Amino acid sequence: MSRAAPSPIFTLRGAGAPLNTLHFSCHGGDTPLLFSGSGKGAIHMWNLNTRRAETVAEGHSGNSVVWVNTLQGTDTLISQGRDMRVCLWDLSEGRTAVLDSLWTGSVGFCQCSLLEMSTGTHLLAFAGQQTEEIKIVELPSKTPVCTLIPDAKLGMVMCIKLWQPDSGPGPLLLAGYEDGSLLLWDVTQRAQLSQTKAHPEPVMCLTFDPQCLRGVSGSSEKDLCSWRLDGQNNLQLQDSVPLVNPGVSQLCVRGDGKLLASAGWDHRVRIFGWKKLRPLAVLQYHTDLVLSVAFSDHQDPRQRLLAAGSKDQRISLWSIFNEGADTG
Amino acid sequence: MDSLAPHTEVRVAVAQCFRTLSTSAEPEDIISSLQTLHSFLDEGPESRSTPDQRAEFSRAHFTRTLQFLLSNIQADWLLGLSAAQRTDLWDGLFLRGPPEQALLVLMEGISELKASTSLDLLISITERFLLSGRLAALLWSSCLQTAPSDSPQLRETLLARIVALPDLTANRLHLKNKPCFCPQQYFTLLASEMLTALERTCQALKDGTDCSLIFVAQTLGKVCVQGHSGPVFAVMAPRLSVCTRSDMVWQRVCWKLLQNVPQRWMESVLTGLVQAVRGPDAFGRIVGNLVLTNKKAQYVVTHKLLLLQYKYETQVLRTVLGYLAADRERRPLLLQVLRALSQAWANPSAVRHTPLEQQLYVSKALLLSVNLLRDAELQELRSELLQCMLGGMQSHLDSSVVRIRHMGMVVGECLSARMDLNNTKLKFEYDQDEETLELLSLMTPISGEEPEEEPENGVTSPQETSEKTPSTQNASCQNKSQSDPGSDLDSDDEFSPYDMSADQEMTKESPRYLRDCLETLISSEDSVRVELSLRVAEALVRKNVFAAREISVQLTKVLLHTEDKYSIRGFLSLRQTTMVALTVTDCIPVTQYLTTEFYSMNYGLRQRLDILEVLALAAQELSKPISEERSPSVGVSSCTDLTLYPGDNPVHWRQVVERRIQSKTKRLTKGATQPPAKATPNRYAPVAGHFFFPLLSNYDKPQVTFDLLGGDHLVLGRLIHTLGLFMHLAVNAPVAAQMGRALLDFVWAVRYHVDQMVRRGVLFAVCSVFLSMPSQNLLVDLNEQLFETRTWLADVAEGDPDEDCRNLAIQSLVLLDKSLKKQLQDQQALGMET
Repeated sequence: MSRAAPSPIFTLRGAGAPLNTLHFSCHGGDTPLLFSGSGKGAIHMWNLNTRRAETVAEGHSGNSVVWVNTLQGTDTLISQGRDMRVCLWDLSEGRTAVLDSLWTGSVGFCQCSLLEMSTGTHLLAFAGQQTEEIKIVELPSKTPVCTLIPDAKLGMVMCIKLWQPDSGPGPLLLAGYEDGSLLLWDVTQRAQLSQTKAHPEPVMCLTFDPQCLRGVSGSSEKDLCSWRLDGQNNLQLQDSVPLVNPGVSQLCVRGDGKLLASAGWDHRVRIFGWKKLRPLAVLQYHTDLVLSVAFSDHQDPRQRLLAAGSKDQRISLWSIFNEGADTG
Repeated sequence: MDSLAPHTEVRVAVAQCFRTLSTSAEPEDIISSLQTLHSFLDEGPESRSTPDQRAEFSRAHFTRTLQFLLSNIQADWLLGLSAAQRTDLWDGLFLRGPPEQALLVLMEGISELKASTSLDLLISITERFLLSGRLAALLWSSCLQTAPSDSPQLRETLLARIVALPDLTANRLHLKNKPCFCPQQYFTLLASEMLTALERTCQALKDGTDCSLIFVAQTLGKVCVQGHSGPVFAVMAPRLSVCTRSDMVWQRVCWKLLQNVPQRWMESVLTGLVQAVRGPDAFGRIVGNLVLTNKKAQYVVTHKLLLLQYKYETQVLRTVLGYLAADRERRPLLLQVLRALSQAWANPSAVRHTPLEQQLYVSKALLLSVNLLRDAELQELRSELLQCMLGGMQSHLDSSVVRIRHMGMVVGECLSARMDLNNTKLKFEYDQDEETLELLSLMTPISGEEPEEEPENGVTSPQETSEKTPSTQNASCQNKSQSDPGSDLDSDDEFSPYDMSADQEMTKESPRYLRDCLETLISSEDSVRVELSLRVAEALVRKNVFAAREISVQLTKVLLHTEDKYSIRGFLSLRQTTMVALTVTDCIPVTQYLTTEFYSMNYGLRQRLDILEVLALAAQELSKPISEERSPSVGVSSCTDLTLYPGDNPVHWRQVVERRIQSKTKRLTKGATQPPAKATPNRYAPVAGHFFFPLLSNYDKPQVTFDLLGGDHLVLGRLIHTLGLFMHLAVNAPVAAQMGRALLDFVWAVRYHVDQMVRRGVLFAVCSVFLSMPSQNLLVDLNEQLFETRTWLADVAEGDPDEDCRNLAIQSLVLLDKSLKKQLQDQQALGMET
């Protein structure tokens, strides 16, 4: 018989605002951290051992923080706010100071995408000032790399994902647009490689697994759409997964490529097997839209956590499907 | 001279023996004279006596001999005999002579002797008499006498002795009674002895001897009329059923047997038999066409079993009706029965005044008999049946008792289906319950023969199937597991899914303010918004009491007029709980509004009943003590989704009444033992009058749309019940005395109302008056009414056709008596002190 649905192992409260984005940093030797960006411009750094907010950083002058990430190897935090700025933070030795900031000009909600090129240099992709514009810059030098604008009118850029294929020379970029299209860009060629219409509604979120070249995107409707890249870098739609209630805020694949989590507008987090997109669990705890999900990057797979941030101002943390990790 | 010789010889010899036995002390003489007596009983070639002598001894001297032996039971010579000699010579005389004489003497002896060894001796002889099959011999000998030679008185006595043997022995022996004299065993034995006699009769008839079954039939009748038909027919019916299956002689014997049962015992024999046989065929074989020849039997089968009595199982009905239908000559009786049944079913007075169980019984019989009709007969009866159906359904559907309405619906459906009215069928909506299903099942004829014939192979088949099913399952499992590995190695199967049944569709966001709900309910056409407003309204009322008070009456008005336009799940209970919450929150204005509206124009019955229910529930909630962790919205609304709306559920009503009665009973008997509850202020007591008195004010002013004392007795019943509830909840309130007086005055006018629901309500109200009124007020204020009330209650308890009414009346009488007794004792105690 199937088990009863699990409960969160703990929750983090006190952010005082909707939680738009979550990012784990449990890789380093010291305390595991969870970063969250709130709707009131605060970035909380939660200590997962004490389960308290260790530091709260305010850098976007009260505007909603839509995305946070860390630059690998350095104590640098990167955050994107609705004040059209991307900030770089120095967190070393307990400091919270804005090192640098970047003006994006985007009024949308599109989250940035970060890709580590070599030690110390990263590529950052973000939506630009114009409607369909995507800009890519190099960090930390802030050198513009390219600007990608599609030929057709596709509406606003909704979500982007930058990644480095094993075979190809340069990084590729996946982007979802307001009219439901998905585009694959070659960054170095500045060329559009493939285009497909995945959803009738705007693409709200997407995630992509470079290992098996498969991705999935969510929209405001009742279906998740999965797709894959063939050898010629063509986007091919695969079967869609029906949801009970419409609307997905964010999708996230676990580091080992076995699970997919979705943050639903129906207050629920859904877990799917990543291979076949078989529904595995529905996590009910939140009382408002779930805005973000993230899997932790613990080195020990048994400690891995799933975090979900919601509009109800809480973060729930779950330990799910960790027992079978070492066998697979 | 020749004929005289054996008589005198025998007489002389017997006298000689008696003399020897009374005077001699020599054991040899004793033994020889006993042997002489025995010789008159011995049959067979080596016998010393001639058949003439034996017949003379049996006729004239056997009883005398046994009586002589009994009178000498304490004689020395008897004690002098060895045990073996005594058993052989003394006891043997009782066991070998004509059994009827022996039985009479034995029974006489047993009833005369006091407890002693002599009595023990007699008892053991009687026991052996029974166990050695002498009863069969007795019955068989009576069969052989084609003309009764002995006097009717003697037969009557013998019959009485046979049937009353268990009573006689039990009276004499008390606790030391032998098991074989106990009725269960004795009558089983008697039944098998009767079967033996019948079997011998069959044999004799085949051999060409005439037999008479009069005595056996009388025995059977007398046994049955004394209430022992159960054990007797438990033995006889299966055997007779089997024997008559192939043997015509047996059938003739059975028919003759039943024909010979005296008229006055016919009924009990037939009822016993019809309950014991399985199926109409067996009954038909045993009884034959008795109903055509015997008036009494006809009356019992066609009238009494069907229309007057109603205690029997459905199987009995099947047997009786199937029996009537099975034979061409009996079929006119079936039609006659059907007419009578349909009249009984359709009779409006019967619907009102006969017990529900009887109506159910008649309905069953009607359905069964309609089902047995042939199409030609159906055509003949069609107009009558149609009339019965229409009239009967009207009177059934008019009833306020849900079970009766259901009965009317089911029977109407079945009849219309059977009559095939231009291919149209009636179809009603009702909840299937056990009763309706049973009625419906009667329309499918039970095919196949009686179950007794079926061999045991029925038992083995389920095992086979159960063995089979797992194997197929295994096979399918194997197939699956074989096909699986080939399909895909990296599947998601390493994770077993959690239970995802709770993953339901989300509803839209619900309103946060009570005023929004109000606005939505008044003006919105959006079904989702209306539903959400209804769902949150109760919680909002309870959460913000001050906001709720501002618009309580307005919202109540809106809710009262809201209709379930969108088929919202649990609409009625949502609306109800919200109105209850409003009433509780803002008690006086809302009750004022609701009680006024109850009597105003242009409301439907449903709305008026809603008003009553809301008031009742609110009063109940108010009267409960407030507990700290109380969360009424959760408690009420969580169950509302599951339970039906209370007003729709007939069981609920009765259960509630019963539960209340029980709780009351407990309170009286265990009142002192319960620990006193923590004192909390009663929120209901100060406002009880606001609930109660406005509802009493206008009941007798009929309006165009609402006539409480006329046709709307459904509302009247509920009104009285609700008033009773208010009364009950007002216990210990200062206003209780006034309420009680007013309520008794009110219900007095309708105490013999024709509708049983109203009567139940009245009795419930009276119960609650007696419970809640302080006993001194009861005595002082209601002094003159109490006597009349008592008489009325006693009358109801005895004569009301409704069982609930009778129980409630008894309950009220008990309550009244207790209350009065307590009061009188208190007064006495006071008087003693002063």
